[in-house]
Order: sequence, then structure tokens, then C-alpha cells
Amino acid sequence: MTVESSPVQEQRGARIRAVLLRQDVLLLVVFIAMIAFFSILNPRFFSAAAAANILQDFSPVMLMAIGQAFVILSGGIDLSVGAVLGLSGVTTAMIIRDQSANGSDPGVAIALGLIAGVVVGALVGLVNGLLITYGRLAPFIATLATMGAAAGITLVVTGGVQIAGAPRELILLGNTTYLGLFTIPVMVVIVIAALAWLYVSRSKFGRWTYAIGSNSFAARGAGINVRRHLLKIYVISGVLAALAGAFVYFRLGSGSPLSGRGGELNAIAAVVVGGIALTGGIGRLSGVILGSLIITAVLSGLIIIGVEPNWQQVVIGALIAVAVGIQGIGSFKGRTL
Amino acid sequence: MKSATRLLAVTAALAASALVLGGCAAAEPTGPDGSKKYTIAFIPGIASDPFFKAMEVGAREAADDLGIELIWQGSASDYSPQTQIPFVDAALAQQVDALILVPTDPDSLQASVTKAEAAGIPVITVDTTVTEQDYLTSHITGDNVDGGRQAAITLAEQIGGKGKVFIQSGSPSATTNTLREEGFRDELEANYPDIEIVGREYSNSQPANATSAINTILLNEPDLAGIFAIDGTSGTGAIAALKNSGKVGDVKLIGYDAYAAQVEALQEGVFSALIVQQPGEEAKLALEYALAQLTGEGKDDIEKTVVIKNIVMTKDNFDETGQYEYVE
Repeated sequence: MTVESSPVQEQRGARIRAVLLRQDVLLLVVFIAMIAFFSILNPRFFSAAAAANILQDFSPVMLMAIGQAFVILSGGIDLSVGAVLGLSGVTTAMIIRDQSANGSDPGVAIALGLIAGVVVGALVGLVNGLLITYGRLAPFIATLATMGAAAGITLVVTGGVQIAGAPRELILLGNTTYLGLFTIPVMVVIVIAALAWLYVSRSKFGRWTYAIGSNSFAARGAGINVRRHLLKIYVISGVLAALAGAFVYFRLGSGSPLSGRGGELNAIAAVVVGGIALTGGIGRLSGVILGSLIITAVLSGLIIIGVEPNWQQVVIGALIAVAVGIQGIGSFKGRTL
Repeated sequence: MKSATRLLAVTAALAASALVLGGCAAAEPTGPDGSKKYTIAFIPGIASDPFFKAMEVGAREAADDLGIELIWQGSASDYSPQTQIPFVDAALAQQVDALILVPTDPDSLQASVTKAEAAGIPVITVDTTVTEQDYLTSHITGDNVDGGRQAAITLAEQIGGKGKVFIQSGSPSATTNTLREEGFRDELEANYPDIEIVGREYSNSQPANATSAINTILLNEPDLAGIFAIDGTSGTGAIAALKNSGKVGDVKLIGYDAYAAQVEALQEGVFSALIVQQPGEEAKLALEYALAQLTGEGKDDIEKTVVIKNIVMTKDNFDETGQYEYVE
């Protein structure tokens, strides 16, 4: 878009408009409006306790959304994250249960459990990456297959039964709030989100991801090892989903084989609401952070103002439709970093 | 080479007939005393739920005792007629001697019962049932409405007959859940006018949903007196929410089903009571009735409907009720 020699004021006006129509600014406005709306209808919504609850719901969704953002930016999609959350969660739960039963120190048990869960997530991510790069399967198909396999393995391994046996320390770790708002897992997630935001926008890794998402042929031509990069991306997605699984387990004190079901849809919704195009190569992580916040906060808000459970799903669906519609108005296309 | 072709044909025919005859012989497993061993298919609502796991343990034990060949097959993770019907069809195609079924939907599974009737295969329903029960040999169930009612009575007692309570249900479509809720609400409405139900949310198989919902309700109603967690997933979520907010003991929690994890929580004092079914007993009785129907022995003792009573398990009466903990 070339700008003819126009008065300074017109330029400034256009710049302000451009800022206001940015997806993440729009989302911030929506988020604030939503908080105001719920708080007016029920002042209890505007409290530390409500915020703490929302942050705990937000954590696993944010982690999976970050992984999903990387994947979708690169032009792919990862449907297996919900199942990975479940599988890694129960893996962590089982290791911690067995270690505690053998009398290990709780810190050691928790560390081992986390490592085991993350390894499982990384492995599934690796399988996804290999199927897509060397197996030449479409990401949708490959991750659909691993989703089924992971969900099945979770049920086989647990026998459908929840895994109990968590030590006291673990439940404290998952639930003690600092400043009335943040648990340790929530703080970890916030740090990871910040790091991801910087990484996506300012690193070579981030730029390569956008490049591959925009045009993978050109990217390869420019010398990027597309295969290796995609492998890393899917492994990251798996690792983040595994971490989400561990944190859900910490919050509940019990590993449920059905946790995470449908999680991939929440992650994709957060990414789409956040302004990342499903075709790849376009979007910001800041939008994804706000998208995740909005999706989790709206559910809590609807409960607090007493909306019937069945209507909650309708509202969320409408929200996603509106958010994507706004994306069109904001003419987001073309902006990358 | 005509003779070679003929030799080949004869050999093939001999091999085929050998297979068929051998197959016929193998298809008739014999019991310990040489009599026919019956094959019975047991199709649960969902294979991965602890309630049905406990039922499976009871079923296998009973099958061993009675000398029955048991086929236990069900959907791995979906409680729905779409995933259940293929298993039922497969069992009927295999021409099992009897079918024991936990219908995931009373109308959708009716066709399968009709198919079984056409094939002359006796059918028994357990836990849930189908709309037309004329053909059924028997229907064995725990009473979910009664369970809800018992939960209401126990909770009312524990909170002193007045206060605010909340219902955390599992799924809006599972009849077990809706019947328990019905029993709970009816009992409170009829006999406890001073108890107010402040809300009801669904977990939809995710404990985290229950935790979140209950945290939110506790926020809204700081003087909440009691919670009824209708299924195991809701129970798990409720435990986390109460521990989280330090309300263990202040808020009375009634749960359903005696899985090991829930019994443990009962002992810790997080649950104030558990409504316990007897899935193993239901399975055992179903197999006994099926065998009676097939052999004719004891056929007159078969009752068309059997309701197995629920047990209210608390820390205080654990000496007597502990035995009803579900085997895993």
C-alpha cells in the first residue's frame, strides 16, 4: 500500500486506526468488556478467588494453545494434544504413585514423574513429526491417528481407572496460591507464555516457522531445513501438552484417563480467536494468550451469572464465530511479526 | 494335465471337509463333566469405567464358578449406542447362547433385542434397560432414583435439615445421572423445605470441569452446606475443589460408587458419605439367571425384575459397609 504525500494528521489517524484494529487490541477490549459485564451482573466475579480459579483453568489451555500456535503458524495442525494431555498426565501420575509407594522423597517422585510425562509427550510429538515429514502424511491425518492411538493407550494402561496415590506435597504444589492469585503451575505457564511470545517474534526459530507456514517451498529454497524444523515444532507441541497434563494432575491430585478430551478443540479455538490463520504464516502469539484467557474466563463467568450449562456451549461457539469475524474487519492479513 | 487338476481338486475337497468337520467339533466347548459349556456375551455400557470394571470382576468370577464361557466386550471409552451396537451385533452373529446387556439407550438398543429374539437368544439387561421388556428373561438393576433419595436424606441429616446445597452431575443424557438427580430433588422438595438447591453443573467426564464449577459456586455461596457429586468424575473434581479451598469438613460431600480412590477419600473425611451400588452382584445374578434359562434348572426362580439395594457407606459404619468397596 503506497501512501501518497498526505498531511501528517491523516497519517497519524491512519496509524491510530491500524493500531485499534489489530486483533490483539480488539481482543483486549473484548476481554475487558467481558470482565466488566460479568462483574456488574455478579460482583463476586471481580475477586481474587475467581481470578485464581480462571487462571488454573487457563493454564492447560494456554500451554496447548502455544504448541498449537507454533504448529498452525508452520502450516500444520495438531489434533493429538488432548490425548497427549491425558496420556502424559496418567504417566506422571503412575510414576509418582509408584515412587511414593516405594518411599521415595516427594520432590524426587514429582521430578521423575514430570520427566516421564514430558518424555511421553515428546515421543508422541516425534511420531507426529516423522509421520508428517518423512511419512508425507497430511498433519490432520497424522495427528488424528496419534490422537486415537494415544487415547487408546491411556485407557489400556490405566484400565479406565483413575490413578490416585499422590503425596500431600504434590497437592500443595498444585494448589497453594501466592498473592491469592497464582499457583506455581500458573506462574510457570505465564513464564512459558512470555518466553514463547519473545521466541516467536524475535528469534530465527520464529521467523523460520512463519516462513515455512507462508510458503514451505520457498523456505526450503532459502536454505531452511524444513523437515528438521517441523520435527522440532511437533515435539514442542507434544511437550507442552504433556506439561499441561502434569499440571491438571497436580490440581486434581488424581490422574484421570479422560482428562484432556476435547482439549485440542479448545487449543485450536484459542489460536483462531487469537488471530492466527489456519492456513499458516500469519498471526501473533499475543492474540493467542488473550484468546485462551477469553475462552476460559467466559465459562467461569457464565457459571457465576447462572447461565444454564447447555447454553454455555452455545455462547462459546458464538464467541468463536464473532472473534473470527472481527479478524476479517481488522484486515489482519499481511502482518507477521 | 487333467489328472493333476483332478488330484488337486480332490485334495482341496478333502481339506475343506476336514476343516468343516474339525470346526464343528471345536465349536462345541464342553464343560468339566462333558456337558455343553455355554457361551454368554456380556456387553457393558463402557469398558473403561470403574463401575463396569467392578462388574467385570464379578462377572468373570461368577463365570468361572458356573463353568460359563464369558465374552466381555464393550466400547473402550464411549458410552453411546453408536459404539455399543456393533459389539452387540458381533455377539449375535457369533450365535452366543445368551446375551447380557447394559443398554446405553432404551430405544436404540431395542432393535438388537428384537434381533436376539428372532435368533432365539435369551437377553438379560443390567443397570439400564430397553423400552419393551416383554422378551427379556430378566432386568437387574440398582435403583438410581432411590440412590438419589438416600443421598438427599443422608445429606439433610448431616447438615442439620437446612442450608444451601449444590448438585454436580456427570452428564445430562446418562439416565443413571438424571435418575439420581431426580431422586435427590424430589426427596428434598417433599421433606426438606429448608434446604435450597443453588445450582447444578455437568462434568462431562472431566474432573477438572467439576473442580472449576465447584470453585465458582463456593465463590458465589460462601456458606454452602453440602454437595451431591453424582458420579465418580464429579467426585474426583469435588475432592480437589474442597481441598483447594480448605472447605473439607465444612461442606458435606455425598458421592456415588465405592471406587478405591473414593473410599480412601471417605476415610480421610473429604466425603461424608458414599452411595454404593453392587455391580458385582448384579453381574453374578445376571449370569445365574442366564444359565438357569438355558439349562432349565432353576428357571422358575427367575424374577422378571430385580432391584439390588444401594448401601450408604460412611466412616462410622465402615466396619459393616467396607466390604462393598468395588474390586478393581
